[in-house]
Amino acid sequence: MKKAFCALLCAALFAATSSGTLAADVTVDSSTLFGIGRRDISGASKERLLPATEFLGITADKLADGNLSLHLYGWGRADLADKSFNSDKSSGSLTYGYLQYRFNQAGTTVRAGRLFVREGIVNEQIDGISARTDLPMGFGLSFFGGATVHTAHISGETSDGKGDTLYGGRVNYRYKGLLEIGLSGVYESASPTLVTHTAGDYRRVGGDIWITPVKAVDIIGHSSYNTETQKFAEHTYLLNVKPLQHLVVTGEFNQHREQSYLYAWTMFSAAALNPNDKSSSAGLSASYEINKNLELAADYKHYSREFGSADRFGFDTRVNYKDNSIRGGIGYHYLNAGEGFAIGANPSASYHEFRCYAMRDTKSYFAAIDLLGDFFKDKIYNENSAWEATGSLGYHFTPALALSGDLSYGRNPQFTEEAKALLRLTYNMTYNMTYTGIGGKK
Amino acid sequence: MRTCKLLLPLLALAGLLAIVASCAQMKTVPGLPASHPETLVVGQQVNCAECHEDQKKGTMKPFNSFSHTQSFVKNHRFYAASDDRLCSTCHKSSFCNDCHTNQVEMKPSIKYGNRPDREMPHRGNFITMHKIEGKLDPASCYRCHGRANNERCVACHR
Repeated sequence: MKKAFCALLCAALFAATSSGTLAADVTVDSSTLFGIGRRDISGASKERLLPATEFLGITADKLADGNLSLHLYGWGRADLADKSFNSDKSSGSLTYGYLQYRFNQAGTTVRAGRLFVREGIVNEQIDGISARTDLPMGFGLSFFGGATVHTAHISGETSDGKGDTLYGGRVNYRYKGLLEIGLSGVYESASPTLVTHTAGDYRRVGGDIWITPVKAVDIIGHSSYNTETQKFAEHTYLLNVKPLQHLVVTGEFNQHREQSYLYAWTMFSAAALNPNDKSSSAGLSASYEINKNLELAADYKHYSREFGSADRFGFDTRVNYKDNSIRGGIGYHYLNAGEGFAIGANPSASYHEFRCYAMRDTKSYFAAIDLLGDFFKDKIYNENSAWEATGSLGYHFTPALALSGDLSYGRNPQFTEEAKALLRLTYNMTYNMTYTGIGGKK
Repeated sequence: MRTCKLLLPLLALAGLLAIVASCAQMKTVPGLPASHPETLVVGQQVNCAECHEDQKKGTMKPFNSFSHTQSFVKNHRFYAASDDRLCSTCHKSSFCNDCHTNQVEMKPSIKYGNRPDREMPHRGNFITMHKIEGKLDPASCYRCHGRANNERCVACHR
């Protein structure tokens, strides 16, 4: 990965300097977080936790001829006291790191490096290349390919169950503002043979659609087909209706054939699931913006699986005042679910959920409070509820630099009592860097 | 066989001509700007229809569909799947990767404890609640975690 990093930086530098000028808008996003806590597990010695985690993003825009950009984002953690997460005192990952060239016409982009790909039925992370362009007469084309980004090994195995290479793409057609249809596919090389888990090869094709027959109606969705099981994996569709300017009524339908959809989920040996099991959900929601300061939303969803069905309904309210410097929200939902969805031997999984939050953001200080409570119909591990309260207070030293601290306390079936504290230093800044070298523009 | 031999070069020529013709017309195909011309307020529920009356040629979809209502935020995966270029005019990739990522140890709701309005997933005691939510809708877990085998999942799911 270090080699890939160096190659990316060298390529960016070469591209920038080859035109004779070094000019870029460089944006740095940094969040440094210090967690503070104690862990007291019965039978083990008490542990003092002080993990320091850095999330760092760097974007360099307008490189070379102005169309090239470099995008880097990753995180690293170092434990300043006892081990906080796993057996390593430090860890980290490059989330993405790629060069992008964006052509002036047809929305054509080419990216190379570690990147995320979202194309129709595909949502993947690769170390490779992706390209996308619109074509005349409403057509569009994209493709991607490269090495799979491997993750943590599955317990008892020496791999994460994924194949080593991955490629795919999408073709689409748009007709005016009324219709877009797309065909996409993904193909991963054969998954490794595992000792105790069943691995399934990740290969799917599918189609997606967006129809706007009239201005107030959208139908969006996609279906995918697993070429290994030779069965449909997923149907997921959304209907949006806007009868009034600030009212959106949404209908949703999802159906998954579990073996086919989860086929490559090696951790659960999903390739060995019953091929006939399905999970479905259908829902209806409405959100209405009463005015610029107040929005109401209500929703209902019905879930169905082989072992039972469940329903969830509730509402959310959002308010904001003073140019968004004061924001808040209140929500309530109730899940009515039978014993099939319950934890352990409970007769039901039903619970009420309440949530409310409030925030204040000024030029100097900012503060937030967030309350979340789940109240169970039947006790879980002998507890009636799980709740958490989080308070946050911060100060802007400059518009770019801020320091904030969070304190949270809660009770829940898993840990009985849970207290956490966190210090956060954030720095977000864009620099305009211009250097004209010999032979540059006059 | 002879017909095939004649057809193949003709088809190749036709294909080449189609590619050349397409490339010649590429300059007329409109594209989206790299970034939104105006900076938007952090935390604002953007209403695209406030400024955009009609669909932009580069998206070929009504801008009003992308207004960030509560329904949009809950269902944003549908929009991002077919046109994340429009998302990227305002959002950096890292905005998506705050939640959608492969290897990360810190829950997004903890990283953004100062931003409860962002509705980060897995708030509070989700380690208990996921035992119910995972049975209700396993596909919703798979969308983010299925290909990631997060270390946190592997710790218990053996």
